[in-house]
Parts: sequence; C-alpha cells; structure tokens
Amino acid sequence: MPSSASSSRQNHAEQLIARLNSVETPPESKLQDLRNMKNQIIGSRTKKLDYLSLGAVPCIVSILSIVVASMHSGGGGDELLELIAIQAAAIIGSFACRLESGVEAVLEAGACAFLMILITHQNEKVVDAVARSLKWIYQSKLAPKFYFLEEKNMEFLLSLLNSKNENVSCLGANIITRSCQTRMEQQALSGAGVITKLASLLDGSLSQREASLESLSVVMKKNPEIITKFLGYQNGGAVNFLTELIKDKHPRTRLLACACLIVIRNSCTTYLQDSRIKTGLVQTLLELLEDPDQVGDDAPFVLSSLIADKEDLQMIAFECQVIEKLCNYLEAGPFQAKRLQGIFLALADMCSELECCRDRAFSLEALIYIKDALKHDSADVRTAACIFLRNLSRSVKNMSAGHFTNANITSPMVQLLCDSCPSVQIAALGAICNMVIDFTARESIFMQGGLKQLVQLSKSMVSAIRVNAIWALRNLAFLVNNRCKEEILLELTMPTLTSLICDPETSVQEQALALVRNLVDGPSDSVKYVFDEAGLLLDAIGKKLHSTVKIEVLIQGMYVLSNIASGNEIEKEAAMNQLFPQCWNNTQTSFIKFLQSTDSRLRIAAVWALVNLTFPNSPGACRRVIKLLNAGIISQLKTMVNDPCLDVKLRARVALAQSMVFSDA
Amino acid sequence: MPVRVVETSSPSQVSGTTPGNNTPPPCTLLSVGQGFSGTQNVSSLQKDEAWRVNVQIQGIDHDHGYLCGTMEALNVPMADTPVVTFWEGEIVDTKNYTFFTGKWGATTEDDIKHWTKFQSFSPLLSKVEVDGGKTLDLSNYPFIFMRWKEQYFVNVGTDCGLTIAGFYYVCFSCSDGSINGFYYDPNSSPFQKLELKSTNDGRSGFSFSTYELQ
Repeated sequence: MPSSASSSRQNHAEQLIARLNSVETPPESKLQDLRNMKNQIIGSRTKKLDYLSLGAVPCIVSILSIVVASMHSGGGGDELLELIAIQAAAIIGSFACRLESGVEAVLEAGACAFLMILITHQNEKVVDAVARSLKWIYQSKLAPKFYFLEEKNMEFLLSLLNSKNENVSCLGANIITRSCQTRMEQQALSGAGVITKLASLLDGSLSQREASLESLSVVMKKNPEIITKFLGYQNGGAVNFLTELIKDKHPRTRLLACACLIVIRNSCTTYLQDSRIKTGLVQTLLELLEDPDQVGDDAPFVLSSLIADKEDLQMIAFECQVIEKLCNYLEAGPFQAKRLQGIFLALADMCSELECCRDRAFSLEALIYIKDALKHDSADVRTAACIFLRNLSRSVKNMSAGHFTNANITSPMVQLLCDSCPSVQIAALGAICNMVIDFTARESIFMQGGLKQLVQLSKSMVSAIRVNAIWALRNLAFLVNNRCKEEILLELTMPTLTSLICDPETSVQEQALALVRNLVDGPSDSVKYVFDEAGLLLDAIGKKLHSTVKIEVLIQGMYVLSNIASGNEIEKEAAMNQLFPQCWNNTQTSFIKFLQSTDSRLRIAAVWALVNLTFPNSPGACRRVIKLLNAGIISQLKTMVNDPCLDVKLRARVALAQSMVFSDA
Repeated sequence: MPVRVVETSSPSQVSGTTPGNNTPPPCTLLSVGQGFSGTQNVSSLQKDEAWRVNVQIQGIDHDHGYLCGTMEALNVPMADTPVVTFWEGEIVDTKNYTFFTGKWGATTEDDIKHWTKFQSFSPLLSKVEVDGGKTLDLSNYPFIFMRWKEQYFVNVGTDCGLTIAGFYYVCFSCSDGSINGFYYDPNSSPFQKLELKSTNDGRSGFSFSTYELQ
C-alpha cells in the first residue's frame, strides 16, 4: 500500500538519523549511514525536504563539530574521521544546493563556522568537499555576510583565492560576490590585491572564470577607480580578454562577461565606446534569451542594465530589433515568472525614452501581452507589466489616438489599484498617472471606475501610494470639462484637498497644488472651484506659498494664484489678498524673493501672476498697481526687463507696461 | 518624452554636434494645454477660402526638439463636422533639427523660400544658407521656428477628401504667442498661410494647466 510504503521510508529515515545521533553507533556504521543519506538526497528535492523535516541538518552539523574537535586535539590523520567529514560536508552542500529551506536549516545549525575551519584541513579531499559545500551556501542570497574589513578575514579570503584547489578559489570569489556591498569593502578588496587575483582567475578553469567574472562585476560596480585598475591589468589585456569572452562557447560565461563589460561601461562612459562592442553586447544578450535555463532567465535583466537610461544604447538595440525579438518571446510563451518579469522590464527600458521604440511596441500589439500579464500570479510579473505600460504611455501620440482606451486595459488596471502587493499598486499607479490624461476633452474612462479608487489611495498611510494617487488625479484634471471637475471635487472633497496641500510630504503638496491649478484652469468660470464657503482652501494655498521653501511647491502654488488672477475682479482680488496678505509684513518681501529666485520657473510664474493682476481693463487694476508699487514690486520688475531668461524678460516687460499705464495716470 | 526617428541620411537632424546652450528657450505660451485660434488660408486660383483653425499643444519635449498637438479645422466644405488632425512638430533648435528639412519632398531651396517669408527669419538667413543654421545661437531669439507634420485624422476617415500629405513651416512669437505658418505640399497650392493667436478662454489674463508624465 502506498501509505505504508511512505511511512516505511519515513521510519527508515528516522532510524538513520537516530543512529547518526547515537554515541553508541560505531564510526564505520555512521559512515555507511552518511553515504546512504547522501545518495538518497542528491538530486531529490522530495528526499531533501523529508530529511530536513526530520532534523537531519543539526545531526550532520553535530558530526562536523566532532571532526573539528578532533582536528583541534591533534586527531588529524584519522582516515575514518576524514571520510566521515567528506560525506557530512557533501550532505550539507546537497541540502544547500538551490533549496532555500535547506540553506536556512544549514545556517541555523551553525554549519558555516565548522566548514570554514575544515577548509584548512590537511586532507585535500576534505578541503574539496567542504569547499563545494560552502560554494552552494554562498550562491544563496541567504549566505552570511563575510566581513572583509577585518584583517584576519581578508587574509583568509586571500588564502582561498590563492589556493591551487579550483573549488576553494571559486569559493573565495563566491564569497566576494555575495558579501561585497559597500564602496569601503570594494576599496579594501582592491587594496589587498584581489582585482589582480580575480583577473588571473579569468584564465583558469571554466568555474574559476565564471566565479571570477561574477565577483569582478561586484567589486568594480560604480567604482571608476577600481575599474581603471582592472583596465590597466596586463596593459589592457584583461579587458580585451573580457571582450572576447562574450563570444565564448559557454552561455553562462558569455552572460557573465556581458554583465562585467556593462558594469565597466556604466561607471566609465569613456570606455567601450566602440559601437561594434555595444552591438555585440546587444546581440549576445538576445541570443542568450533563448537559453532554456537560468542563463535565459537572467539575460533580460542584464540587457536592462545595458540599456537603462541610455538613449544611444536603446537606439542600437532598436536597430538590432530587440523589441521584435522580445515581443516574439512573449508570443512564444508561457515562461517561468522570473523570465517573464525580465522580458517586461527589458521592454520597459527599451520604451523609456524613444518614441520609435514605443511605436514599434504598439505595432506589435504589446498591449495584449501586458493585459494578460496584469492577471499573472506573480506580483513581480504584474509589477513589471505595469512598468512597461507606464513607459509605453509616455507616447502622447498613441494616447491621443486612444490606443489605451481601445485595448480595454483600463479596467484591469483599476483592479490592480486594490492589489494585495504594494509594489504592484505603486507600479499600477505609475501607469495610470499617464493613462488618465485624456486629450480628447471627452470624459476620461477613468472617471467611471478609477476616480473612487484614486481618491481612496490619496489618503493612504504609505506616502509613495499617496503621492502617486494625487499625481494621477492631477493628470486626470488636465483640460477636463467642468462636469468632471465637479465630480473630482465631490469625490475628493475640499477638506481632503486642503489637507493634502498641507501634507507632511512636499511631493504630495506639489501634486495637490498642481491639481488645484488644473481645476481653476480652463473656461473662465472654472476659477469658482477653489472657493469653498470658509475660504479654507485658498487660505491654505496662500499660507503654503509663504511658508514653504520647496521650489516645486512654490511654482505650483504660484500658478494656482496666477490662474485665479486671470479670472474676474473678485477672483483677482482674492489672488491679490493671498499673494499680499495685509496682516503679514514680510509677505511683500517673500513675493520679491519669488521674483528674485534663481529658478526661472518660479520667476516666470510670479511674473505671470503680475501680468494677470495688472491686466488692462480690469476695474481694480489701478488699485492693485498702487499696492504693488508700494510693495516695491514695480521696482523689482524694472530690474527684470533684461532677465537672462527670455520668457521672464518678455513677461516682465508686459507686466511693467501694463503697470506703467496706471502709474503714469 | 518621445523623439521621432528620422532617416539617418536626413540633414535636418543634426548629429555629432557639441551639446551647448544655443537652443531656443522654453516659452510658457508654447506649453502643454495652450490653445491658439485663427485661420488657414486655403485659396487657390479658383477661389478664395479660409478655414477657421484651433490648435492645442498636447506634448512638448525640449530635449528632443519635439512637440505635438491637434489641429481642428472648422467650416471645411467637404466635412459635416470640424476636422481634427494630430500633428507632430520638430523644433528648429540646431541640436536636434536645423532649418533644412531633408525630407517630406522639401529641398533646401524650398526651405529657404518658406523661411524667408517670415520677417523674423531675415537676420538668420545668411548663416542658414551656409549650413542650415547649425551654429546659430537661438537661446535668446524671441521667435521659435518649427515644422509641423500632421500624422492622422482624429475624427474623420482618410476618405474625407482632405489631405495631410504636406507639412507646415511655422514661426512662433515668444512675445505675444502668435503663430504664423506656411503649408508646403508639392501637390497643393503654395504658401497657404496659417495665422493663429494665443487664446485665453475668455479670461482676463493667462491661465496655464499642467500634467506630468511618469
């Protein structure tokens, strides 16, 4: 019966562990049991999990501790003990091999400390088994941090790198890859001669070469000084060799060589300018995408690191038809989540800056793949799809053509606003921020489904969600008709909007003010939206303008009041009262400070406010000009007629000319 | 913001120039959301005709010399409704684009002929004739020169009897936000003039909306 067979296996395993734990079991039997366990678990995830659940790891680590104790008491040379050590180390390595729960158990049981001692054992076979075991541990993200900055640790690391044993030298490189995180650590490693050592390992065996490539990338990352050292190694021979490695016959070597070259190029943009190398990198990474294993999973991420934020590389990749190839892969799917995530992120990077790339992606019906991915089980895939969509929606041309609306992608996006994973919510908000902009002056499709959600999220405790939600509302309010503005205000409410203007985060304040700016723009009766019964909103805007130092907040606040000042006489006076409140003597000074700002964007916003306040044929313009004169504003304007910013100069002249009409009178 | 790919042999797109600060400065009257209205003269030998036109700026990217928007033509005889087109523009900034078009069937002679119809262009003519104006410093010039090319019809079919095969040479005045343009299409009447003024929605002043793409 199956059940009794499995319980029989369970019993067998329990008995095996019990024998290993027992002091009465003779060493020869323990060796046999260890061999049995090793043979069962190697290549069998199920068996590993079974033994893990029965507490096998602490048992094995306990055996290792006995071997170490024996070493310390001069018991080296005991052949049986050495054979036991070899088997125990192999078992630990097997548990740690690509099994997170195995790595956790191994670390929790304290295996690392014993293994680090045993790696100096006199028996090469013990050393080799231990090195393999530690290599698996250090290939996991859970590996313990190795502190390079402690002198004896650095000496130990160098001894590993200098070892003639391939597994030991690889272990040294793996430790660097996993543990080197700070600039100080990079410098310490470089100072200890690690770069030279790693460069020499490039010429070693396949595993040494690959381990060395990975750790070189980590040590050189964003460190031009160390990169220069590497580039000088063997008079440039090392980097030439690296360039050749992107054509190596082993896929993982090619991938790691690409990654290393990209690290160099990203930190030292003067190097590797040759377009043939750039093209070679793109083409190699495209080929590697076809690898069915981890290399294929990692390839799109490496491609992203090559092209992210770099238009020239994106153009080269575009000409290599990267977009076509990535979309073809999506068509050919399905893939594991990691590969799918990588492909979407690479497409997102491709479409981040260039319209030609977005056009190509649209023509290949990328929106269909995105729509499917929005429902994927993996949060990482959903996030990546949203990031791709956000970058695609930077295309004003395609948004204006209604491609997003036509693809019925709005509804799934709105649903993601309620996603259980905050990173998905934030990524969805990023895309929605762009998609809500409706240039057609029809009611945005988001008004029906998304408005409620966006308003809800604008009250989130998470500031990243709050700022993105209010950002989306700002964009939603761009050029909308009055009915939509009323709906937005009804849902958001004036008190909430007022509190957002006073939010602890200045980025939220900025977006909230920009929202108000849009609400009061448009047909002349739009200005009414800022006037609530108690005038609280307007007061909040005025107070914010006179209290904040954040330039972006000032600019939006100034535009709100400037837009209001383009309204009727009552509205102009209301703006005037906020810009120059009677009770505050220092507000006159602060308006002059705005006009004197080193940021031309603030100067221009302030001058526009003056243009509007002194607009000809306004009944109260004369009174306002006198007030401006008394506040020293007109004198300040006179100094701006030759402002270095053309826009400021031209508007200052207009405001001055308008003011002079009244002052002459 | 987007950038249009142009053919690599196109002389209108400058490559290899040292990035400096000689490009036209941003102007608030030519920013997103800004509207313009006026007329386009579509006269031919047979008859005098003008369409009322409204233009709205929808996107602008100074780094790439790009802008885009819509153009709405009213009282078009063959159409029941106003005809709206989406256009993309190249800002002549000497960095991304020069005064030489290099495509759309326009020769350098055509370029000079059209640019010289703008009074504001005369001080620039001599340098433009040499190399399309690559070395000009436009950072303080109170006019912005552009080419606008309509890309598609927004609200009518391509069988509406209208053409968007040509493009406009455009001059924008930073001082008052007025726009003048000349339509170029080898198959249409030459020098059809576009004249627009900045609109302000009936306000006593100027109002500015905003969006920001992520």
